[in-house]
Amino acid sequence: MRFVTPPSVPGFNPVVMTDATLVRRVLEGDTAAFTMLVDRHAAACTRFAMRMLGNREDAEDATQESFIRAYRSLGRYEERQAFRTWLFQILVNRCRTAALRRQRRQRMFLVDDNAVALASVRPAAESSGVREELQRAIDALDPDQREAFLLKHVEQLSYDEMAAATGVGVSALKMRVKRACDRMQWLLREVSDVGT
Amino acid sequence: MSAPENPRWLNEIGDELRREVPVRAAWRSQLLDDIARLPVPTAEDEIDDGDRDSPRRSASRRIVLTPFTSLAAAVVFCALGASAMYVALASRAPSGRDTIASRSRTDPSSTASWSATAQELVRFQLSAPNASHVALVGSFNEWNPVATPLTRDPATGTWVVSLRLPPGRHVYAFVVDGDVTADPAAPRAADNDFGSANSVVLVSGRTS
Repeated sequence: MRFVTPPSVPGFNPVVMTDATLVRRVLEGDTAAFTMLVDRHAAACTRFAMRMLGNREDAEDATQESFIRAYRSLGRYEERQAFRTWLFQILVNRCRTAALRRQRRQRMFLVDDNAVALASVRPAAESSGVREELQRAIDALDPDQREAFLLKHVEQLSYDEMAAATGVGVSALKMRVKRACDRMQWLLREVSDVGT
Repeated sequence: MSAPENPRWLNEIGDELRREVPVRAAWRSQLLDDIARLPVPTAEDEIDDGDRDSPRRSASRRIVLTPFTSLAAAVVFCALGASAMYVALASRAPSGRDTIASRSRTDPSSTASWSATAQELVRFQLSAPNASHVALVGSFNEWNPVATPLTRDPATGTWVVSLRLPPGRHVYAFVVDGDVTADPAAPRAADNDFGSANSVVLVSGRTS
């Protein structure tokens, strides 16, 4: 079996189909409908994972794992929750696990002087210097604050959606976002007139 | 679009970070191939071990509340409450010292042990007479293998360090000459996804 662009079949109009409808179609056996879900959400998931993890390789791994887990768990998706929020719930967990795994791996390597030297070389910048500075500031945030900041101000989830995705209470999330904003403002003020 | 109440600099940051990250065609193709190899999901799929972190149906969908289940739940909660109270009272029995860890290991056959000798001060020790370097890594030092080295007692070959830890559950391990190893005398943490075992110390922070 191979996934392809959904065929032109009666009643299949991916443009107007909601995520929930696509999920239903997958569960009814039309597995090609999952391709549409991937195409709708892969970019946002990869973006969040890249901002969280700081590099494309780890981000793609986390996103891939998330989609696979989502596919296997699709029977448990409930339509009263937005599919994107449900997917981010999985993605957030995958990113947390990836960050921990990488952190531990790097800590081990840091014992080695050669590894220290290599670690100081930043990966190739993905684009402009501004974005590089932004990513550097994001990297400097505590993981909890980074996660909350990205979900709120980049992925633009509501606090209720964030709570569902992270398992953290709304007031704690608000506090994390506020602290992240304060820290970002302070960090970016050093390199520009942001926030002044 | 950013919320209007946000300051301008925050909206600009959000807009910049929101720029689309292109999805690589090869990655997408690989993902779809991987998914195609999986069994087709159904609405009745059971939970399996590989889906530990996937969101699950809410309890309200799985449990139908009837008068009988309500009564049964009340009985169960009462029983659990009574058990919890019994355990709490038993654990507060006089011990003759301020113990911060929930349990104290004194097994003389252990090659390593952990113990708490004062509130929030936790002593970690490992018998490794042939090791040349031992460090402590854990949730309390961000798993940094250079942050908390242990000191070797030349007479016994035991490596020791004492740390003040906040109350809570702390996961840790030793790094013995670069190899991560769990504390053989402490409770093990659940699988850590990293292929090695960790240990757990509980710090109660309770003053008796």
